[in-house]
Amino acid sequence: MKIIDKVINWARLKSPWVIHFNAGACNGCDIEVVAALTPTYDIERFGSILRGTPRHADVLLCSGPVTRQLKDRLVRIYEQMPEPKFVIAIGACACSGGAIDGCYSVVSGVDRAVPVSMYIPGCPASPDAIIDGVVKLLKSYEDSLKQADEKNENGK
Amino acid sequence: MKTANEIAQKLKETYSSYILDISAQRERRVWVEVDPKYFRESFESFVLKEGFSILSTISGLDLKDKFQVIYHMSSEDGVVLSIKVNAERENPSVPTITDLFPAAELSERELEDLLGINVTGLIQGRRYPLPDNWPKGQYPLRKDWNISMLDKKTEKETDGGKNE
Amino acid sequence: MSKKVVIPIGPQHPALKEPASFDVTLKGERVADILVKVGYNHRGIEKACEERTFLQSVYLVERVCGICSHSHSTCFIQAIEELANLKIPPRAAYIRSLIGELERIHSHLLWLGVAAHEIGFDTLLMYSWRDREIVMDLLALLTGNRVNYAVNVIGGVRKDVSEEEKDQILKAVDILEERTKYYVQVATEEVTLIERLSKVGYISHEDALKYGAVGPTGRASGIKRDIRKDDPYAAYGEVDFEVITDDHCDVYGRAVVRVKELMQSYSIIRQLLKKLPQGPLSVVAPRLIPAGEAVSRYEAPRGEDIHFVKSNGTDKPERVKLRAPTLANVQSVAKMLEDGYLADVPIVIAAIDPCFSCTDRMIVAVNNVSTAKEDRMDWKTLREFSIDWYKKNRGVDFTKLKKLDK
Repeated sequence: MKIIDKVINWARLKSPWVIHFNAGACNGCDIEVVAALTPTYDIERFGSILRGTPRHADVLLCSGPVTRQLKDRLVRIYEQMPEPKFVIAIGACACSGGAIDGCYSVVSGVDRAVPVSMYIPGCPASPDAIIDGVVKLLKSYEDSLKQADEKNENGK
Repeated sequence: MKTANEIAQKLKETYSSYILDISAQRERRVWVEVDPKYFRESFESFVLKEGFSILSTISGLDLKDKFQVIYHMSSEDGVVLSIKVNAERENPSVPTITDLFPAAELSERELEDLLGINVTGLIQGRRYPLPDNWPKGQYPLRKDWNISMLDKKTEKETDGGKNE
Repeated sequence: MSKKVVIPIGPQHPALKEPASFDVTLKGERVADILVKVGYNHRGIEKACEERTFLQSVYLVERVCGICSHSHSTCFIQAIEELANLKIPPRAAYIRSLIGELERIHSHLLWLGVAAHEIGFDTLLMYSWRDREIVMDLLALLTGNRVNYAVNVIGGVRKDVSEEEKDQILKAVDILEERTKYYVQVATEEVTLIERLSKVGYISHEDALKYGAVGPTGRASGIKRDIRKDDPYAAYGEVDFEVITDDHCDVYGRAVVRVKELMQSYSIIRQLLKKLPQGPLSVVAPRLIPAGEAVSRYEAPRGEDIHFVKSNGTDKPERVKLRAPTLANVQSVAKMLEDGYLADVPIVIAAIDPCFSCTDRMIVAVNNVSTAKEDRMDWKTLREFSIDWYKKNRGVDFTKLKKLDK
């Protein structure tokens, strides 16, 4: 892997920029996401910063069962994110529709709109679970990079 | 402060030509059904003369053989007056109250979107709460509607991810 | 010659955590019109209730909003209990009120943080959310969850408050009261804050009545209405408290009302715990709810929550209508921003404490009549514009504020 790629990957792993999108959620999970930023849980010690625009984000935190009105916007936000990008579905509703599953106005789950990298269940998902999920995701990305690196080395 | 019974009695006597039925369910709860022909007159009287000047919300119901709209009004004393008015099954309609309560707009749009009750006099505007691409003629809150009637095409058009 | 510029904002904005859309029409720097679009959160809960039993509907209704879940749950269950002619035990009524007040506290502290964030006062955000964690821990201790407490059952409550837990609540309330006194001081004496929030988002008493403003938003315009006093439920008929109103009619007033309401809540909690009656926690509820109609009202942290429930003698509701407080307040936003500055938009919207998931959606559109420009602004950009504008034009800079020393 080239040096520049290593730097970029290091930056992504050490300081993932996160964007949050509420796709029709009740707010329970959203407030817990913000709580994860506050001193008690402090996701910023993992280098995560909440950004406002998808163009600068590595990770999309999505909550809510995805109402029909918002499905297109969610897809648009996903498309605006640069690669590599990850989507984390937060809360039971985002994972599979949760309590709202089957209602006429929702598509029941984020993975029906965009590909999901990590599911964090809970109603709502607690800040501990959210931090755990983000860290696990980054670890698995780090592992997959290492594997790709080894493959390249072996292939040379 | 009048009790619910006293209020019901007074309204019954004063507006007997408008009222089809009235009862005091418990303290601070009065239910009245008005003749649709006199809806505006009775409504204005209750609001402007009887002190029920707060609009809490408007509920629309599908009673199978007809529709019913209930205006939940309250007074400063905390008494809730629920005003029922019926609308016919074919081409149901009620007049708007946004001239008295601009805040009624969203509730009236809900009646139109979810139940298909036409609110006459309501100014043109963006629909609420259904999405813009919701198929015409489908009113989710009607008793004869269920989700399987939803045109599957609507979902497939915007389906960006996994299919069902 | 003034030309219009439209600036659509949203529906994804990090600060508010909720999808809403705003189309703002600007004439120069002043807001000429605002179109508030709501509906993105419409999930079809009312219809879903008709297809579920009353008990299942309780779980669904609780999830209408994650911040005021107890409000919706209690309001709904009160209606069912009225239909079934159930009288809940006094201890249950007290516990419901206790959880309700804890919810009010966490909601107002949350609002304080969010509002501070909107005006660039992030220190206050961190402080108030740290304090909020005290309440979240209490709620988790008492009910088993930080959000969606599921404390209500039809006929009462499912969990008791032990003597030990009572002590912990009282200790926590003491700490919070000290901290809140400091917030009251900041709100009433910090000149930068007063300058930033005064005359912003003004709506007169008469207009607030016409546009149906409820809760702290209405009370900040002098509307003295509080369901806990006007239409008492649970244990509120047996405690003493003041209904806080304010005459400023602006965002500053809304902040003052909420901070003072926190102090009232502490007093209410102490009274509830002192008078907590002995007795059972619930009565047996029938599975089939007798036919009838009921209207239940509850003073949620944001204002009047009203539920209408109609039953037909089966175990499923015939009709459930929920109107959350933000729907009532949303429609006054346009009036509040009339002739205001674009820089005021974020805080004015945040000041009604919008719970869009309760309401569905809010959209604000901006069009600038003066420059004929159509601009697309995301919320973060608008917020930063707002903080910069106030720094440049009004000298408001919260970063210069001495550190909050508690």
